[in-house]
Amino acid sequence: MAEQASSNPMLPFLGRLVEVRDLAAEIKLFGVEMQNGGSEAFAGHRPGQFAFVSAFGKGEAPFGIASIPGRPSPGQEGGRVLEFAVNRLGSVTTGLHELGAGDYVGVRGPMGNSFPMQDFVGKNLIVLGGGIGGAPLRPVIHSVLDRRADYGHFSILWAARHPSLLVFTDEYDDWRSAPDTDLHLTVDEPDATWDHNIGLITNLLARVAPSPENAVTITCGPPIMIYFVEKMLAEMGFAPEQCYVTLEARMHCGIGKCGRCNLGGKLVCVDGPVFTMAEVGALLESYL
Amino acid sequence: MKVLTPSALHAWLNALARDRLLIAPKEEAGVLLYRRVGNADEIAFTGKDPQRPVTPIKQAFFPPTERLLLIERLPADEPGGARRIRLSESLPEGEQILFGVRPCDARGVRVLDAAFLEKEPADPYYQRRREGSTLIGLACPEMGPTCFCKSVGGGPDDASDVDLMLFETENGFAVQPVTEKGRALLEGAELTETEGEPPRSALTDPIPVPDRLAWPPHFQDSFWEQMAERCLSCRLCAYICPTCRCFDVRDEALPAEDGRELYERIRCWDSCAGEPYRRIAGGHNPRAGKGQRLRNRFFCKFHYFPEQYGHQACTGCGRCIDLCPVNIDITEVLSHLVVG
Amino acid sequence: MSHTASIQAKARELLETGAVACVIGYEIGPRGRARPVFVESPEGASRLVWNQACTHNLAAYLPARLRPGKKGEPARPVGVVVKACDSRAINVLLAENQFAREQVHVIGVVCPGILEGAGQRSIPDEASPGEGPLQARCLRCAERTPVVSDTLIGEPFAAPPATLEEDPLDRLSGLGAEERLAYWLEQFDRCLRCYACRQACPMCNCPTCLFERDDSTWLGMGIGLSEKRAFHLGRAYHLAGRCVGCNECERACPMNIPISHLNRMLAREIETAFGYRAGLAPVPGPLVTVLDRGEGRP
Repeated sequence: MAEQASSNPMLPFLGRLVEVRDLAAEIKLFGVEMQNGGSEAFAGHRPGQFAFVSAFGKGEAPFGIASIPGRPSPGQEGGRVLEFAVNRLGSVTTGLHELGAGDYVGVRGPMGNSFPMQDFVGKNLIVLGGGIGGAPLRPVIHSVLDRRADYGHFSILWAARHPSLLVFTDEYDDWRSAPDTDLHLTVDEPDATWDHNIGLITNLLARVAPSPENAVTITCGPPIMIYFVEKMLAEMGFAPEQCYVTLEARMHCGIGKCGRCNLGGKLVCVDGPVFTMAEVGALLESYL
Repeated sequence: MKVLTPSALHAWLNALARDRLLIAPKEEAGVLLYRRVGNADEIAFTGKDPQRPVTPIKQAFFPPTERLLLIERLPADEPGGARRIRLSESLPEGEQILFGVRPCDARGVRVLDAAFLEKEPADPYYQRRREGSTLIGLACPEMGPTCFCKSVGGGPDDASDVDLMLFETENGFAVQPVTEKGRALLEGAELTETEGEPPRSALTDPIPVPDRLAWPPHFQDSFWEQMAERCLSCRLCAYICPTCRCFDVRDEALPAEDGRELYERIRCWDSCAGEPYRRIAGGHNPRAGKGQRLRNRFFCKFHYFPEQYGHQACTGCGRCIDLCPVNIDITEVLSHLVVG
Repeated sequence: MSHTASIQAKARELLETGAVACVIGYEIGPRGRARPVFVESPEGASRLVWNQACTHNLAAYLPARLRPGKKGEPARPVGVVVKACDSRAINVLLAENQFAREQVHVIGVVCPGILEGAGQRSIPDEASPGEGPLQARCLRCAERTPVVSDTLIGEPFAAPPATLEEDPLDRLSGLGAEERLAYWLEQFDRCLRCYACRQACPMCNCPTCLFERDDSTWLGMGIGLSEKRAFHLGRAYHLAGRCVGCNECERACPMNIPISHLNRMLAREIETAFGYRAGLAPVPGPLVTVLDRGEGRP
């Protein structure tokens, strides 16, 4: 196996795929068991951080870490396993989708900042996830559910274009059955069995109408969704400091060197990917 | 002042070139370039117009393409088993002496130092090349018609960013050591003591450069789209710029050797002026418009980079003005921001 | 009336009547360099000039400018100022259905040739460029009069080209294959893959260039000699039968790479084989339409 020279930030740790399962149409969940050095590097990873995952021979791309250290996939040992949700869209993601359990990938990280969970203690939380944007929010949901008493009321608004694109459907019962927690689902286009809300997440947000009082919102999804959700939250009286977003951008290094992921003067990889609207509100239009 | 006569300069440079990698301005097909030279006779010292090479010195630290890793997919341990992976880093080694570095290019190196080294983690590929390099600067006796180094905090005889500075004089080159590295390099050089001080360069009129904070109010100006209409979205401006350092990273297959399956992870130059720069898989491109891309390029130099690292990312070398095929002119941009 | 005055008058008229949304022409910038300009108002027409420093091939802007909108709505027509070589590019683009003939009002200018150094820093005063050596492509030019136009400015003439003392292409053709390859590798070594050549060319208008794919399917992204050779030779093949010899690729190149020799070599081969020169009419070239050399010849 490869020697790990820990000082080169462009050299990945190796990870062995211990689980590959379908999460939604063209979206797979990968459970990666970190090899020598990697599990130490990722031991304390926090909700909101991301990593570069390599499909060797194709390249690497950034993915939000969709798990927390305390909560591995069922059946795996705690702490060494990271989960990533991968939507098959380009050459790297196709390369990953072609792999199966036992295959090796590369992982660099953990990168970026994280959600300030300690600042959310005692507050009402509203999480809004659109499509694959739900993946980086799952660590937040798990963190809250694992320490439920620390937080106030918890609303999860979860959306996708179509029911086949909803992620983590097998966890919804767990989420909605937690104390003082609601789960609201919506799709743009229903299928035959859909019996929840139909419409954009902003439509759902208007119906749920959460109060800004002592609340924090956390949003992730396509740029246009973030833009309109944040616009609506502002109109509903949420202050920019209460509204958190996690953003994506095309990245090639993840460590602030290649210059590509800038949002105005901020680099999404090192100043983010977690931001408040106070930090990036004015810049969102150039992100669309 | 200490002076190297032309023959002493040749002798010194030839001695350096014998033992080490010497990079200096050289003319090829009518184009002045920083190139590896084996002999001082190959060097184009002075009298060229423009006096700065077409490409800046950044190539010596940040080459157009470099291999980051070698990736090997090993055969599986048993049939149907998983292929294992062996990774090896391809870190650069060795020393290089860079001669004839114009102050604008040396300032560019300082800007790249901030981008690659200042924040953790440092880029080891850039760092190794940088640590193995000695810069010998060459002052410009006068500024060219498109030069504005002085207006962005530099100058044609500014020695701050080199290890050793040379100035053209009538009997050769006056020598001013700046760092210990530069001083050490002079050992063995035959220096002549003469009267006087190294000459100061002739300056052109300064141009107004807006303060960093003057930029945000102009973000929505229609100026960007109007100026960008003639932009060809090539990458020329970024590639010949001393400070542009955006890069792309990808794995590419190598020809198979003895049946081994090998790939290299390479990085190579890229530019935000190019259309695919921010396009993500799936096709979304937040900077699909030329105006958006060009706006980003100029904002990066004068507003975003300073926000991250505290100083501008333009050294006033004027190459982009000379070489842009459609005369997109950075000084016109600055002028727009100052005048409004 | 000078060419400049005629162009200004026509542009003003086209914009005032709304016949076009914009006129793509030339202006002189604050530093005195000729450069493309997009005039969208009648008042802006006074910025337009024409002289022997107007080197750019403005047809390069047409494919993107005339692309249908997001909802499929056709783009509004534009006016464009072209020289003879540029006008041939328009014919090639029309033959390839890049836009419809009625979408462009061609302001053709009879051209006596463009000066060496135009568009770069070399001509001190491009506003009044005076005399000087012409660009090599102009010395080789066979027609001074645009082959397609809606408005023709200048008296048509077909002055025979001045003969160049030596055409570098003859010297290169005389070299053996290995020597020629060594020559080209030396040229490509300087190349930065900045793509200025490709972007300046009207005929290079693929939405994603074959050589720039994100998955490196056809060519690696590296700026190495092997990739650069493939790019330049590949691009020359893709332009075979389409290149009109405007030479803007070579003019845009910051490294003095004699790109035009590649295109002209292929153009020579095609003229010998088919008696065909690109862009004289808005019909596709024989390279993609002729199956049997015998039937294709005019």
